Amino acid sequence: MMDLLIKALLDGDQAQAIIQASKLREAGVGRRQIITDGVEAAMAQLDAKCTVEQFNLLEIMLCGRAATGVMKVLYPPSTPPPQTKGAVVIGALEGDVHDLGKNIFKMVLTAKGYRVVDRGKDCPVERLIDTAEQEAALAIGISGLITTVIPQVLQIKDKLVARGLGHIKVIAGGAALKQTLAQRLKVDFVAQNAFDGLHYLDQMRG
Amino acid sequence: MNSVERVKAAVAFQPPDRVPVIAQVFGHAAMLARVPLSDYIRDGELLARCQLQALQYYDYDAVFALMDVNVETEAAGSVLTYRSNQYPFVRSYALADGANPDNLSIPDPWQAGRMPELLKAARILRREVGDDVLVIGCVLGPMTLATQLLGIETTLYQAIDEPEQFARLLDFAVAVITRFGIAQIEAGAHLPIVFDPSASPEVIPASFYREWVLPRLEQIFTAFKQAGSAVNWLHTAGPVTPILPFYPQAGVELANIDFSVHPLDAMRTLPRTSLNGNIKSLSFIEATPEEIADEASRLLSLFADRGGFVLSSGCEIPPESKPENIAAMVFAARQDR
Ligand code: B12
Repeated sequence: MMDLLIKALLDGDQAQAIIQASKLREAGVGRRQIITDGVEAAMAQLDAKCTVEQFNLLEIMLCGRAATGVMKVLYPPSTPPPQTKGAVVIGALEGDVHDLGKNIFKMVLTAKGYRVVDRGKDCPVERLIDTAEQEAALAIGISGLITTVIPQVLQIKDKLVARGLGHIKVIAGGAALKQTLAQRLKVDFVAQNAFDGLHYLDQMRG
Repeated sequence: MNSVERVKAAVAFQPPDRVPVIAQVFGHAAMLARVPLSDYIRDGELLARCQLQALQYYDYDAVFALMDVNVETEAAGSVLTYRSNQYPFVRSYALADGANPDNLSIPDPWQAGRMPELLKAARILRREVGDDVLVIGCVLGPMTLATQLLGIETTLYQAIDEPEQFARLLDFAVAVITRFGIAQIEAGAHLPIVFDPSASPEVIPASFYREWVLPRLEQIFTAFKQAGSAVNWLHTAGPVTPILPFYPQAGVELANIDFSVHPLDAMRTLPRTSLNGNIKSLSFIEATPEEIADEASRLLSLFADRGGFVLSSGCEIPPESKPENIAAMVFAARQDR
């Protein structure tokens, strides 16, 4: 049955994925196991398929949506949230409205067991930092598609350090930022795609 | 040759007196004239004045009656946020909350939102430059307007979950675009450029493009040609190589290529379609005039034998670009006879 769930997820079939997850629950399979052996396994397969050259956006969006749907069924808002690998705050900075890439990163992280706090697009740096502090986040993920946001990116690390939050990692992604090196952007990591960012977080957690 | 003759010759693969150079100077014209971008994109007269000043300063082959990517969606009911020195963006989409495109009316270009200001800009520009310099208006492509009416993610999901609804959305977009583009030609534009970033292979696969976008572009370009468009110009950002083979069928006569497209690939795929590009937009901010000049002469020699070329940037020249870099590109084309 787990295979059917994985298949439905990889097909991007949300309705079918939810049916399979519910069946697994009825058969007594634990929620944690459904996530690890089903949702995360499907994501890992998708990850293995996606390289920098071969990146089918629609496929990932559909799988990500189906995975998000399954998580909602497993953990409806009324139940206590699942144990996660930690919080990641994400956003696109002031003046940048491109948010497709950010939303994909969010789905990938959620499906892999992170708790994502999305600050949306056109978000001031301060708000990202405030949120990261409140949520005791592991990392801040910034998505930048237009180069005019780079001056904002350059401030984040210093501002974090000044507030005693230097332990929070900063990851950058998106077309404008991935052309530049981490040192030049003053961030901890520059991701070439959403999975690349995920790998960095996984590694960082050890 | 004047600019209009020069561009027409290049597009027809006839030898122009020199390679035409069209700099995609939009908001940069406001920066150059030191007026706030938010005024520039709301006031047709001011926009035209800034464009004319930029033309005088750089002396290239075209001016643009072009505001930003939100003109059509605002006219159709989306609400925008304006900031003083940035392009505006959509705060709430006209079709959010499942609204049906059938219930929206096609905006009247002489009445709705900023459309009349854009038409005013086209009229003033044409009056001032006549048939010496190309006056270029702008419409969005059908995919981009769809994503600007509904939001990009919702649009992509709709395409897969409710293809019939998506078809209606695209058809609505075609109706808006066609009407607006024809009005621009009537107001004095030699052509409206079709700007379709959301149809980029960065976002949708080539098969999706062929099925949904191509037939609609064909409709739009046919209508523009009938209305007297001097050149059918398509501008799609990003790595467009996989969709270039569809351009001739769409009726594209001049195809923009971004810096991520190899000019030789584009030439091979489109032997009879003229191309424009493809200096990296970012380099107008970061590079030196010498680097721009080098890149421009590399392109000029690549296309020297084939023709069918307009020297340009790969996408918009960013507003904050260094003027000397734009001047260097123009100079390279003027020098190369
Ligand atoms: C679609 C698009 C739009 C849409 C955006 C819709 C939306 N809501 O997102 C619309 C039409 C609205 C738009 C508008 C504009 N755009 Co635009 N747009 C694009 C385009 C074609 C594709 C972007 C995209 O969605 N790609 C697909 C996503 C999935 O890719 P991605 O974001 O890179 O994300 C992937 C990874 O990078 C990663 N990732 C992303 N973020 C993060 C974050 C983290 C932490 C991690 C780990 C990973 C990660 O995950 C994703 C999957 O792997 C690009 C071209 C390009 N080459 O990128 C131009 C582009 C980004 N746009 C550009 C411009 C100039 C504009 C405009 C200013 C145009 C104008 N004159 O009005 C406006 C206004 C923008 C503004 N104020 O922000 C320029 C930016 C140039 C620059 N100055 O740097 C580009 C590069 C085009 C170009 N060649 O010039 N645009």
